[in-house]
Amino acid sequence: MYFSGASRQMGIICRLAVCFLLMGLVPGCDRSSDWPVRPVTLVCPWSAGGGTDRVSRQIAIQLESELGVPVNVINATGGGGVTGHTRGAIAAADGYTLLMATVELNMLHWRGLCPITPESYRPLAKLNEDSAAIFVRADAPWQTIQELETALRETTSSVPVSGSAAGSIWHLALAGWLMERDVAADATNWISINGSAPALQELLAGGIEVVCCSIPEAAALLQGREVRCLGVMSRERCPAAPEIPTFVEQGVEWSVGGWRGLMYPPGVPEDRVEVMSAAIRRVAESAEFTQFMDDAGFNISLVYGQDFAEFLAEADAGFGAILTQPAMQQQQQAPLSPWFVPVLLIGIGVVVLGVSGVKWPAAADVSAKSSNSQSLRMPLIFCGSIVLYILSCQTVGYVISSMALLAVQFRLLRVGLFRLVLFVVLAVPALYQVFSVVLGVPLPWGMLGW
Amino acid sequence: MSDALLQALADVTGRLDIWFIVLASACYGVFVGAVPGLTATMAVALFVPIAYWMDPVGALAAIVTMVACAIFSGDLPTVFLRIPGTPASAAYAEDAYRLTRQGKAQRLLCLALTSSIAGGIIGAFLLMLLGSQLARVARMFSVTEYFWLYLLGLSCAVLVSSGGSRVKAVLALVLGLLLSTVGLSAVHIEPRFTFGIPALYQGISFIPAMIGLFGLAEVFSNLCEMSAGETPGGDVSTGDMADENWSLVRDAQDRMVRNSGGVGRSSLLGVLIGMLPGAGADIAAWVALAASKRSRPNEDNDEQLMQSIADATTANSAALAGGWIPTLVFGIPGDSVTAIVIGVLLMKNVTPGPVIFEEQPALVYSIYLIFILANLVMFPIGLLAIRLGARIVRIPRQILLPLIVLFCITGSYALNSSMFDVTTMLLMGVLGFVLNRWGVPPGPVVLGLVLGGPLEERLIQSLSASEGSLSGLVSRPLSLGLAMVTGLVFLGIVMSEIRDRRNGRIVGR
Repeated sequence: MYFSGASRQMGIICRLAVCFLLMGLVPGCDRSSDWPVRPVTLVCPWSAGGGTDRVSRQIAIQLESELGVPVNVINATGGGGVTGHTRGAIAAADGYTLLMATVELNMLHWRGLCPITPESYRPLAKLNEDSAAIFVRADAPWQTIQELETALRETTSSVPVSGSAAGSIWHLALAGWLMERDVAADATNWISINGSAPALQELLAGGIEVVCCSIPEAAALLQGREVRCLGVMSRERCPAAPEIPTFVEQGVEWSVGGWRGLMYPPGVPEDRVEVMSAAIRRVAESAEFTQFMDDAGFNISLVYGQDFAEFLAEADAGFGAILTQPAMQQQQQAPLSPWFVPVLLIGIGVVVLGVSGVKWPAAADVSAKSSNSQSLRMPLIFCGSIVLYILSCQTVGYVISSMALLAVQFRLLRVGLFRLVLFVVLAVPALYQVFSVVLGVPLPWGMLGW
Repeated sequence: MSDALLQALADVTGRLDIWFIVLASACYGVFVGAVPGLTATMAVALFVPIAYWMDPVGALAAIVTMVACAIFSGDLPTVFLRIPGTPASAAYAEDAYRLTRQGKAQRLLCLALTSSIAGGIIGAFLLMLLGSQLARVARMFSVTEYFWLYLLGLSCAVLVSSGGSRVKAVLALVLGLLLSTVGLSAVHIEPRFTFGIPALYQGISFIPAMIGLFGLAEVFSNLCEMSAGETPGGDVSTGDMADENWSLVRDAQDRMVRNSGGVGRSSLLGVLIGMLPGAGADIAAWVALAASKRSRPNEDNDEQLMQSIADATTANSAALAGGWIPTLVFGIPGDSVTAIVIGVLLMKNVTPGPVIFEEQPALVYSIYLIFILANLVMFPIGLLAIRLGARIVRIPRQILLPLIVLFCITGSYALNSSMFDVTTMLLMGVLGFVLNRWGVPPGPVVLGLVLGGPLEERLIQSLSASEGSLSGLVSRPLSLGLAMVTGLVFLGIVMSEIRDRRNGRIVGR
């Protein structure tokens, strides 16, 4: 970790300094003029390496130098974005947790997946907006959107298409376009594939005929002429690929895109919102950020504060109109019920158990072992101490609760007092420093600020 | 062509800073891989902010080196403590620990180190020589083929279990698959077994589950033994401790020469599996272990077991090179590490994909060279790590056990910064402890958790592509072939179980 040159070392020294400074502070001492004083967490609802993650990490690096405290990105993935967006909304309103929200926020609640809507946040800034585009294999017969549309009208069997999971923004973009043009809903068959990269792989493998996703997601294959883009669903051409015509140019009035933006949970003190908004604004308008977004092929689209909130409300209504259409609901039907696989598995388990007549350690033997409470007592006490740890760690903080846990367990195993103190005092802070400071993995922040 | 190669040679070997970067990231990789909960992917994700300050060759050198080292050093806690450091070591955690209890920890680790290096280097050569041809093969795999491939992967968990424990392995697998259905299902987007708890929507993450099933469960077993006053079945710290590293390395070399067929087979398997997006080093280790165990007649022999584990470590290192094949040729990530690499490359204004070979051949050659360099640097650093690891294990158990508990907790928390994952870890620890007592292996549970989601997803995707008809699963020639192989393997498992039973009964009477 020391090979990155002077700037990184300075960063580490700064972090160390901040940490040591904070050790002496009591939480009440935070004065808003010095805000922020401790690391900020940026929640990214998508996995490491994806587009949203890359934008989040770029923002984090630049915010770090603007705010003077570490900004850590955590990938709270899962549930099609539910996990991360929920975490951003219910985070403590102290201004130390930011969320990189994505367009799924406009869609999840319409599908009844979570109660969270744009109103559950304090929107800070929209950073980017990428339009959907239609891709086919390079050897496909269609050259324009019109040709594809005609082919879809005339098809007798439905054409397999994808781009992401069912009900995602790209699914919606494609379905909305066909609905707009009155093409029958069963002309296409949306295969739910998680993510645009595997969908493009499936397009190459011949499993599907059309992919709908954004241009940066398909950049490599587009450059290598493995796929062809028929059109981008926006009013203006995409700066990253100016040779691709828009839908509007081809006579189709249809534009849809996915956005990314930064949010606070509701109730953050106004002065902190101001500090953070100003910092975000400086970052978003910096030459470095513009350069990064251009290189990555992301389309910058900056909208701040109240305007962002209005944009969200408008987008929300638009998405709601499409998502509640019966055609869209129908398209989300999968051939197997969600309970098919679990039931099948339970069935297999029961059959295997029954047929095999597997010999478990004789019941008497097990119960004799477990009735020997002497031998099970220790694991149970350890379990109990870990449960207490889980309950208290978030409020008390990592260092204190870990020290307590270690001390209790050492004591139970009859470790001498001298060695107990030595290991507790050495191991826990060392572990904290390694994880939280050197690796930049945030650990629970406690009352002592440690 | 040769100009590009010379340029790459100058870029990689001629620059002092590259050597420094490789050395530093090797140490970093070894550390991250050895901490349960911090995976190779996480090592790279944590490194991304630093990659901003580096040129493409430097950034790639760092990433390739740290991942190779992390995958090897994942074996350290696996062997010493029975906690897989990375998911790629989960396949052989139990077998390896059995050898450890006989005092063969360092011998095994030296063999794992040399095998990993061999796998990494052979993998790099395969990437170099056959990259674009293999990529054409990988490109033919559609969701249906993946479905059969995942089923085949699942069967490996049963293949590696010997004789009497076969049924228990099947049950463990079913349990793992069932656990994987918890949460929001990826295809239906519908919550299952979540009981209205939002945290359960993300499902049971398999890394905390793995730490619990192996690590915490082992702590509990140890506690039981201690309080029952039993002496542990063999002391980890003694045994070949007195041996000099060099004799162990020579021993490892001898073994590899004798086992050159196994090394070659496992490397090829590793590359082939690694290059398929959606299957990576962890599955490669399972398949190579199964293949290796099947090819050895006397499966309970410890010497044979050691060779099988070595083959699995060869395969998981070779899979890393395999992951770069679709990345470089198509710009489609072969695994989660290369997904991040694509991001880093784009950041450096390099677009991976077909054009990279024409526009920046020097960079491509640099990647090959870095692979070889990284594996060479891994040798001294890996040996040091083994030495250090053996010293840590010599800490008395009263002190070691609570420290392991703290590491398990911190590792599971670090993954997602969520206490929910720590709770998962604890519950899985209790489950692992119970399974241990019943003699059910925890490895298949982890494999089921890893493959369950994608398996169901691919099944439903294949079925919805064929509009619900089962014939869609075998309509393509490639999928038909894979289906037949899968069928044969399943039949073979059932047959050998029936045969074993019959023999067992005859012997019993």
